[in-house]
Amino acid sequence: MSGDLTSTYLIDLSRRLPAGIIEEIADGLAQACEDHLARGLSERDAAAAAIAEFGDASQLAAEFTRHSPGRRTARIMLGSGPVLGACWGAALIATRAWLWPVPVAARLAYGSALLLVIAALASAAASRHSYRLTRLAAAGGIGLGVLDLTMIAVVLLAAPLVTWLLAIAITASLTRTGLAARLVPRVLAR
Amino acid sequence: MRAEAQILKGHLDTLLLATLADGPRHGYAVKEALREAGGARFDLPTGTIYPALRRLESAGLLEGTWSVVGGRRRRTYALTAAGRRRLSSDRASWQDFASAVTAILESAPCPAT
Repeated sequence: MSGDLTSTYLIDLSRRLPAGIIEEIADGLAQACEDHLARGLSERDAAAAAIAEFGDASQLAAEFTRHSPGRRTARIMLGSGPVLGACWGAALIATRAWLWPVPVAARLAYGSALLLVIAALASAAASRHSYRLTRLAAAGGIGLGVLDLTMIAVVLLAAPLVTWLLAIAITASLTRTGLAARLVPRVLAR
Repeated sequence: MRAEAQILKGHLDTLLLATLADGPRHGYAVKEALREAGGARFDLPTGTIYPALRRLESAGLLEGTWSVVGGRRRRTYALTAAGRRRLSSDRASWQDFASAVTAILESAPCPAT
């Protein structure tokens, strides 16, 4: 009977949270049941008391989502946007980048990809109930890294000379790519 | 009681780090350590503690490792070097704050009834 209660609870949670978290909760739940049994509760009451300690499955999932590494990563990546945007904006305007030999289609593709990445990161950062959605931060972080490196490659190939403004923007992009490389594995880890 | 719960929540990170100062523990043991040390008022909802431990881990203050105990996979948390530094600075800030509040409260005259 007690097994039924905890299994139903864990199945409900497993629809909302990744396997690693479910395993951790299952162990905690079993530990709580054992403690309640040792205090003299029946198996069923012990299971019910343990579940009550952990709280409603949807609230618990929302709490994990709020603290998820995906949400944190997405917020950091989005926070870097205005700074990087300002660096690149100033550098590209100062070097008259519209005169570089880059096809219009490539410029449009880059802009569209950037918008997609921002949308993915914004969804992950704003997610309050879906842990799965916070994992979009991994795709967003990788996408941002690829876009940063692409921009650097274009500058090195197409810019007539690398000005100090371009050098600052390149450094900022490399720093963000390094940060993304550190944060993305944490998003995927659990 | 509600105000007390809010204050507790505000210091949750420090309390969690403090329960791990003597060595690694799993999530439920952290909750039990808090309850044993602070009594009923420190009996925080378990559903608050587990996500907070994960957050502290992703911030680099804790390190979680898996082991198998009694046939169950168990995640145990330990302080990282950054976690120890944070705990020690939080402890110092709290002690300063608590002594200042105590000094004010003890010097203030009792209100007339």
